[in-house]
Amino acid sequence: MSKRTDAYFRNVPMKPYDLLREGLIVLVVVTVVVVVLAAVFSSPDYPTVRGEDVAKRQPLAFLKTSANILAGNSSIQDYGPPYTPDTDNAQSLFGIAPAGWFGVTDRIDPPQDFILKPLARVAVLNGDVAKALHTYETASPSQQQAWLTAYLSALDEATVVSGEVQVPPGDYGPVPTLMNGMLDLGRSGLLEGALENDATLPYTLDFTRSLLFFQDDVYAGVADKLDLLGDEWGISNETGRYPGAWWLWPYTFFYQIPPMSSSDNADLQVGAIITGVFLVLLLVPLIPMVNRLPRWLGVFRLIWRDWYAGSDGSRREAGG
Amino acid sequence: MNLTRGAQGLLTDNLSLEDALPTRMPVYVNSVVYLFGVTALSALAALIVTGVVMSLFGPGWYHESRGGHFVNSLHFWSVQVFFGALVLHIATKYMMAAWRDGRWKTWMVGALAFGVAVFTGLTGFLSQTNWDSQWIAVQAKDAMNALGVGALFNTMDTGQVLTLHVVALPLLLVLLVGVHLLFIRREGPVKPLER
Repeated sequence: MSKRTDAYFRNVPMKPYDLLREGLIVLVVVTVVVVVLAAVFSSPDYPTVRGEDVAKRQPLAFLKTSANILAGNSSIQDYGPPYTPDTDNAQSLFGIAPAGWFGVTDRIDPPQDFILKPLARVAVLNGDVAKALHTYETASPSQQQAWLTAYLSALDEATVVSGEVQVPPGDYGPVPTLMNGMLDLGRSGLLEGALENDATLPYTLDFTRSLLFFQDDVYAGVADKLDLLGDEWGISNETGRYPGAWWLWPYTFFYQIPPMSSSDNADLQVGAIITGVFLVLLLVPLIPMVNRLPRWLGVFRLIWRDWYAGSDGSRREAGG
Repeated sequence: MNLTRGAQGLLTDNLSLEDALPTRMPVYVNSVVYLFGVTALSALAALIVTGVVMSLFGPGWYHESRGGHFVNSLHFWSVQVFFGALVLHIATKYMMAAWRDGRWKTWMVGALAFGVAVFTGLTGFLSQTNWDSQWIAVQAKDAMNALGVGALFNTMDTGQVLTLHVVALPLLLVLLVGVHLLFIRREGPVKPLER
């Protein structure tokens, strides 16, 4: 043994031991357990929710999502950094808003990036959409909003017949043509490609825009059905009856209790708490009381009960 | 200065062959709690092996192939065993006040490894390229943005998430686990508390 361990274990009775044998036995046991669990229970793989699926199965939801984005009602519209420059909605704690530290690093203009730019691609193939797009873009902002407000109200009365959305008659200007253009884009399966519009195509590996497109109502609706919403312990759950990231329960727990459960700054508040909890874990050896607690709890007596009993029944004492 | 002789001296003073690969152990090392760490280590080995196999075929493999799905299942359950053993390891080491007698470095490196493991797990869920990835990405991005790290780590950038998960974070985790193990073998198991 080294000088260090020679000194530490002086007068401590030793027993024969085989580190590699013990390690190999545990490795084999763990491997067998994992293979059996995988063979018996398999693993979750709930399929992705694609624009094509939403457009075909929930055309009304697709149209509402598209029209709301174009009307400026998307949650990304005034999200703040890193997507938009306004900081009114940036989460803050004690006047500190870390969200703004790096500024806008991935600028997103939802009506332009999510609707009008993809429609410009549809317009290449569809003359009606090209005309409607021109009409919309040359109209005044107030006229655009009037069309969109009327159309969004009409969607509440709309019906779906044989997969086609039927909207009550009204003055919606070019909006129905534009929205049907978006619906066709979705049904064609090309929505995601049109959204990830950057110079690295076709090697895009960043799906920020296509994920943000449906995050508001469509994803939330799917998550609700699968019991994955934030007030249901959110991302620590897994689809189906599988265990999820249960080790995140301490993190998701703080979202369930006031004031975080109803706070606009919950993410930052919980993040600050968990950072504090982690620092406590990291610094356990140095924190008074926390580093004495194990002595008071006494669980160590159970762990080392054989040592305290002693092989000859006599009590032994050791360490510090 | 002879560097080799210096290294020999460092090893003689701190980590002999008997320390690194012990054939004797204090008699108080006699509880199932001493197996939680090696169980987590074994599950980590299973994670690395299954992860490397999956990396050979790409992130879409397990959606299309029964063999790929089985390897993904092995990876999934290895994660569960890994974190189960890790939580038990941390809890029992806390109850033993295992940072005593100069072992605070072992504790702190272990805690850092746990933090990296949790983040590696998050990037794993984000790399699944299924519904879970979609939902977790849009949910977790709010937390990252609120904490000011959204500009550096984008949960919806699959390229970044995947490379973090299969290269950078496992390397960091293995490094921290290696240092943790080095400290454990260097110090030996802490003596029992006085009753």
